[in-house]
Amino acid sequence: MAVKKGSRPVYVLGGHQTDFSRNWNKEAKHIVAMMRETVLGALEQTRVEPGEIETAHVGNFAAELYCMQGHLGAFVLEIDPALRGVATSRHEAACASGSIAALAAAADIEAGRYDVALVLGVEQMKTVDSKRGGDFLGTAAWYDREAKGVEFPFPKLFGKLGDEYDRRFGLRDEHLARIAAVNYANAKLNPNAQTKNWFMSYDHACSSGPFNAHVGGRIKISDCSQVTDGAAALVLASAEFAAKWGERVGVRLDTVPRILGWGHRTAPIELASKFEESQGQPYVLPHTRRAIVDAFERAGLADAGGIHAIETHDCFTTSEYMAIDHFGLTAPGESWKAVEEGVIELGGKCPINPSGGLIGAGHPVGATGTRQLLDAWLQVTGRAGDYQVAGARRVATLNIGGSGTTSVVHVVGVT
Amino acid sequence: MRELKRVVVLGANGTMGAGAAGLFAGSGLEVMMLARSLDKAHQGLGKVKEALRTDVLGKSVQCGSYETDLARSVAWADLIFEAVSEDMSVKLPFLEQIDRARSPGSIVGTVSSGLSIAKMCDGRSPDFRRHFLGMHLFNPPHVIVGTELIPGPDTDREVFQSLCTFSKKRLGRAVVECRDMPAFAGNRVGFKVLNECALLAEDHGVATIDYLIGRHTGRALAPLATIDLVGWDVHHAIVENVFDNTADEAHELYRMPAYMKQLMDEGHLGNKTPAEGGFYRRATDASGSRYVSVLDPKRKAYSDGPAPPLPKVGFVEQMKALHAVGRYREAMQLLLSAQGTEAELSRRVIVGYVSYALCRVGPSEVVDAPAAVDSIMGKGFNWAPPSALVDLWGREATLRAMDELGLRVPPVLEELAEGGRLCSEPIANMGRYFIGK
Repeated sequence: MAVKKGSRPVYVLGGHQTDFSRNWNKEAKHIVAMMRETVLGALEQTRVEPGEIETAHVGNFAAELYCMQGHLGAFVLEIDPALRGVATSRHEAACASGSIAALAAAADIEAGRYDVALVLGVEQMKTVDSKRGGDFLGTAAWYDREAKGVEFPFPKLFGKLGDEYDRRFGLRDEHLARIAAVNYANAKLNPNAQTKNWFMSYDHACSSGPFNAHVGGRIKISDCSQVTDGAAALVLASAEFAAKWGERVGVRLDTVPRILGWGHRTAPIELASKFEESQGQPYVLPHTRRAIVDAFERAGLADAGGIHAIETHDCFTTSEYMAIDHFGLTAPGESWKAVEEGVIELGGKCPINPSGGLIGAGHPVGATGTRQLLDAWLQVTGRAGDYQVAGARRVATLNIGGSGTTSVVHVVGVT
Repeated sequence: MRELKRVVVLGANGTMGAGAAGLFAGSGLEVMMLARSLDKAHQGLGKVKEALRTDVLGKSVQCGSYETDLARSVAWADLIFEAVSEDMSVKLPFLEQIDRARSPGSIVGTVSSGLSIAKMCDGRSPDFRRHFLGMHLFNPPHVIVGTELIPGPDTDREVFQSLCTFSKKRLGRAVVECRDMPAFAGNRVGFKVLNECALLAEDHGVATIDYLIGRHTGRALAPLATIDLVGWDVHHAIVENVFDNTADEAHELYRMPAYMKQLMDEGHLGNKTPAEGGFYRRATDASGSRYVSVLDPKRKAYSDGPAPPLPKVGFVEQMKALHAVGRYREAMQLLLSAQGTEAELSRRVIVGYVSYALCRVGPSEVVDAPAAVDSIMGKGFNWAPPSALVDLWGREATLRAMDELGLRVPPVLEELAEGGRLCSEPIANMGRYFIGK
């Protein structure tokens, strides 16, 4: 399948995210409050008027389960009366929902349907206890076959991803512990991170016991991203609008970041089918690899050499371990080399998750893909504060739904 | 300033000492925890492990006793963190010992929620005085990041600035610099409001005050429940210190109510004395079901059963409903426009809070900028920052409300341009303070 690219560029004007350490249930808030705060924050930040938004794409995994509320697109209108009549929709692809919403918004602009699109990823998860929430998350896998009656199905699935690496190439848990420690350390620099005040060290991540129990095979608590509440919003625009907007707010068009490339592939939903399909191939998750290659190709990049940082989907340390070789930072199966050499650390050759990623910054499922894009925008505009990657001009994101099922990759950059 | 790698904590078995030790250890520093006995220091270490949820602090945290280890470990440390009791007569002898034992150039921080930093320097050596400051952390420090740093009369500016940076970058603190004035900024402003509520409770009732000044007015916990949480003895110490040592526009509001004093003498200290209780007391009825009884300040007695439900007040319920759907501005504006005695009482306290807090900003006041008092009220008390309330109301409406209530107009508000904003953070970050129930 040849890679095609839209002819109209898509600009990222800016955005806003909530502090992922907040518990909106304790604040006694309806999900519309989170949507409202986040979008008003994005409009305040970008200085785009609500009346200028033409379409809105909401990414959300399971508000029907967590909040007993569907039809989230309609709630965009509750944010400001000027949004009445705007074309809204809601997108679901498990943990990749936020990226799918962004793809749909970008497609609207590429196709020339609209000039200004709002993307909002949102999830409220602390409405239920962790076991019930774990069961809800199981619907991102093939529920009846992989999750029904299983306590915390996803740590177990991603534990098996580690086991598959171990079987094919060998895998040491110390390398996973290092990935956890790096994400937590980065999160301390991110004012919106869920874990910014939590304790973590490499030694703790290596330990196991009552404070760091195994929750799924080789996966311990320190290997997991944590459930939380949060939302992130972005404003995307056509060149025409971006130029007009740039004049108004005093920003030169050539300094406004664009979505330079994207990749979007889907693999068979069952984890066992994925492994079966990739036997004898270099990559454990070939469709994820393909999404990365597609995005590079659309961005005109030969490989990860042109990428200055990555925001990847570390729902568990094993998924980041997978991302390292799938992005081509090492040969397949040699992710440990990049871990040992410090490539992935802030200050390394290609920092991964300067924000802290899902493990450090938090993983409100439907918001994650949008949050990654917002972080990419922060990096390439030099606004990432204490977690800024020096000189970052092109940043890639990888957002995954299910057990490596839906993979969405974006490259955001100013050149 | 020398690089800070080694910290000794005195009073390491106390809540603050253990909390701070956890903060230091969690930030990768080597920590020596000192208490009256080795056993007590180990108890503190247990608290650290619970707070950090880890048992691999390994060699980075050691325990010791004053008698055996104080001189040696104080000499060893780059930062000496004194967290013994909040009592000048207990602190002074420790500071004298520290002065004798410390190595030149090491920093000495004292935890205090409002005692005079200058007094603690009396009689100390010049090097001690240059390296001494107040460090007011809030409990529990691994959760609450608001922190006040207070220079003493001779604190070296460079040392102070370095410790501010260290506290922000390494310890993740939201640092506010305060002048050495009674109760500093957070407690000065916070306990004025809390004591005002305790005074109002005498006429209006405990439950009514906590309902009218509840979480919907921009706080994590209702005011009288907050006093129960911090303890009546602590409340007393703070308001008495401010009452005795300041003379500002709210002086009378720091006078602890007589009913509280009497009950305190009878052992009612709030949550820490569950049998006696505070404003609230948890009880069990004959059938074994639990309930919360409420203090009647006039009778100085508790309700026999659970307090009867309060009649709902329209504007309060409307404010909660608006917060629940993220309409914070409309909710807070309703507080200004609502009619009736309950609304007026709520306004007196909340607009009074804004007036009093922003009046603490100025060259001869506690802090230099609104952002400082905003930060400590937001990140120390979990209360809506005063400037955020001004921005939600608008400058003109705020001035009108202050005028109607006869409150002092803060100079920073007078100087603000019409339609101007006072809060330095995006208003989108303020929603967390407004609770929908």
